[in-house]
Amino acid sequence: MSGLVFRNVSRSFGAVKALTDVSFDVSAGEAHALIGENGAGKSTLLKILAGIVQPESGDLSWQGEPLKFQTPRHALERGIGMVYQEMLSFPNLSVAGNIFAGREITKSGGRLDEKAMRERTAALLAELHVPATPDTPMDRLPAALCQLVQVARALAFDCKVLVLDEPTTSLTDAEVDHLFAVVEQLKRRGLTILFVSHRIPEVFRLCDRITVLRDGKHAGTFNRAEATPDTIVRAMVGREPPARVPRASVDAGRIRLAVTRLSRAPRFRDVSLTVRAGEVVALFGLVGSGRTEVLETIFGITPATAGQVEIDGQRVTIRNARDAAAAGLGFVPEERARQGLFFNLSLVPNIILPKAAKDAVLRINRRNDRREVEHQVATLHIKTASVDRTPDTLSGGNQQKVVAAKWLATSPKVMLLDEPTKGVDVGARFELHALIRQQVDAGMACLMVSSDLPEVLALADRILVMREGRLMGELDGATATDDAVMQMATHEVVA
Amino acid sequence: MKPFWRAREFSTLAILALELLFFTYYLWPAGGGAHPFFNFDNFVLIFKYSSIYGIAAIGASIVIISGLIDLAPGAVIGLTSVITGYCFVVAGWSLPASMAAGLLVGPLAGLASSWLVVKVKVPPFIATLGVMGIWRGFGFVVTEARFYDLSSKLPQNWHVMGLPIDWLGPIIMVLLAIVFHILMTQFQWGRAVFAVGGNETAALFSGIRVGRVRTMAYVIAGLLASVSGVVLAAVQGQGKADLANGYELDIIASAVVGGTSLAGGRGSVAGAVLGALIFGVLRNALPQIPGATFYDRMIVGVVVIVIVVMDQVLVARSAAK
Repeated sequence: MSGLVFRNVSRSFGAVKALTDVSFDVSAGEAHALIGENGAGKSTLLKILAGIVQPESGDLSWQGEPLKFQTPRHALERGIGMVYQEMLSFPNLSVAGNIFAGREITKSGGRLDEKAMRERTAALLAELHVPATPDTPMDRLPAALCQLVQVARALAFDCKVLVLDEPTTSLTDAEVDHLFAVVEQLKRRGLTILFVSHRIPEVFRLCDRITVLRDGKHAGTFNRAEATPDTIVRAMVGREPPARVPRASVDAGRIRLAVTRLSRAPRFRDVSLTVRAGEVVALFGLVGSGRTEVLETIFGITPATAGQVEIDGQRVTIRNARDAAAAGLGFVPEERARQGLFFNLSLVPNIILPKAAKDAVLRINRRNDRREVEHQVATLHIKTASVDRTPDTLSGGNQQKVVAAKWLATSPKVMLLDEPTKGVDVGARFELHALIRQQVDAGMACLMVSSDLPEVLALADRILVMREGRLMGELDGATATDDAVMQMATHEVVA
Repeated sequence: MKPFWRAREFSTLAILALELLFFTYYLWPAGGGAHPFFNFDNFVLIFKYSSIYGIAAIGASIVIISGLIDLAPGAVIGLTSVITGYCFVVAGWSLPASMAAGLLVGPLAGLASSWLVVKVKVPPFIATLGVMGIWRGFGFVVTEARFYDLSSKLPQNWHVMGLPIDWLGPIIMVLLAIVFHILMTQFQWGRAVFAVGGNETAALFSGIRVGRVRTMAYVIAGLLASVSGVVLAAVQGQGKADLANGYELDIIASAVVGGTSLAGGRGSVAGAVLGALIFGVLRNALPQIPGATFYDRMIVGVVVIVIVVMDQVLVARSAAK
């Protein structure tokens, strides 16, 4: 039985061909992965499936019937349920309000049937094992549960095909397990799953078949049994995957960053750590363990309640990001779009602003700014037509490099990185890792937060594990294993 | 660098030129004779009235670019004229001292607004609505519904540095437009205003002192509204609590028509002044068209919407390229 079929789908935006002649099919009842680098055309394909954009040529069908959507509503009514990466939820509404937004159950006369909606919501939440009530305000739910509420919303509309767009980006391993268990259960119920991801191990864990897109073209569909992760990576990037980041000999220099008994009650307490020149120290922990808060407090975004920070042996008082920049700190925050980039400005001001703030510049020197930015763009291999472009014209990986360039331009002594490769494709990820290594080998110290264990193990010289706002212990990056790190992050451990 | 015709101000300038051409053609006198619109004295008149909005619109565009809104300038203009009038007429101060006193009115309003917005975290619309009410109301408290007659104490056929007093507003407007355009485009402070308006959080993470930038934006906007108020008091020769009533919306509209985005992060000081002139021409020319008298406010409303929609279309098209 034919399921969801894409036949010769093409779509371009201006001069950019987002999709060229893409054909593949998703069998009814299977879990099918869609994978590709940023800019490979995954989002466009999903937007077509969701009715947000229309294909220029080619068509879609579901079990032999053509699908032609003019609006997202239309797609929803035909049984396509989308769970978006960006969590399109209404934080101001309850869980039930979110699930039925736009398609509320009504009594005669148009009055809302709150009771029916609450009951249906309660049943869906129970089915998906979501520990929430229909009346829980959406903004009280952690990200992982918001995602499951979106799944519930799709189910409430009786969807046939459930599309999950990068659902695990901000989830911890335990949350991923929960989500996958739910997806397996829905698959057994006969739902067709289209799973879009960057993370190859997850794709192998969940999906029966894997379709790879590259540069807007179909680069192959593989059976799980016949493919290996390397096959997939080769299809994605069109070349051999690069080797692991070479770790410099562990010959760390002087202490550049020393944090002593830093606290920000109640988020974290008594965190003491040091980072030496030439060293990457990873701060690992589950979401809510306080790791991002540690970085933000060191950087002066949020005030500390106790403790002190020394840079190169000098005690520093940091009350805001400007003080931090002056003290020699740089910070690549977790959410690059919200915390790192100015979409109304071109790359020149985007990259030069922290340096200008640090140097207390009065009058702009356009020529110098431009030279500095062009230098950063060249050394970081930022792919852009010109430094006069705005960041929205860049891919996710290149946007992330712009945020890194902002702070590298200030020649920091210590760089704080929060999830440096979140939402970045494989190729750019290796490039960013190499870049971090290169800067650290040149004498910088780096404190990195990452919930991506392979990344931590690939990059870190030492791994500090946090749990519930406290440092639990330290592991050597060269010898640590997944299990050891996870165990320390989740259980009591004899250190 | 972008060629000059791609600059946002150019399209505003083009609209102004088209408007001038249209009214020159439409109001061409039938029997020959003097042109009622296209003549030097009329242009001075247009400039004179536009400058009251235009000077304040410079400040409004800065505030809006920084991601805020200011509803107080109309009230600031009114109270400035009252304070200047009180000092000059009742207290018997010299004219420069009275004007200096008047010029304090706006920065104080700016400090009040920014304290509410930055420290107390009141939404900018509400904070400046409140400040507008207090400043306007204080004018009535001082004057008790009378008005101060400055003109009888000012010289007849008054000239300042050899120029008629009517030229005061236009000259100040052009000078301030140049000064603030340079500040916004060539100084770090201006770049910080664009950054704060574009993404407040990223600005904070980039080491920009967001609160300070916004405080300065409000204080500058207040000061410029006060300059408008002093000019209005000098040109009209009176200090009156209900002067410039409702101007705040025209001032904001001038900035928006000049390419400033209410979402923040985009806009131009020069554009705001050109926007004020676009309105000035409309207000001057429409009443001269027989039968249009009762339609002029409607036409102004339609023009605001048309210009802003046109701008969005142009932006979307240039982004698609």
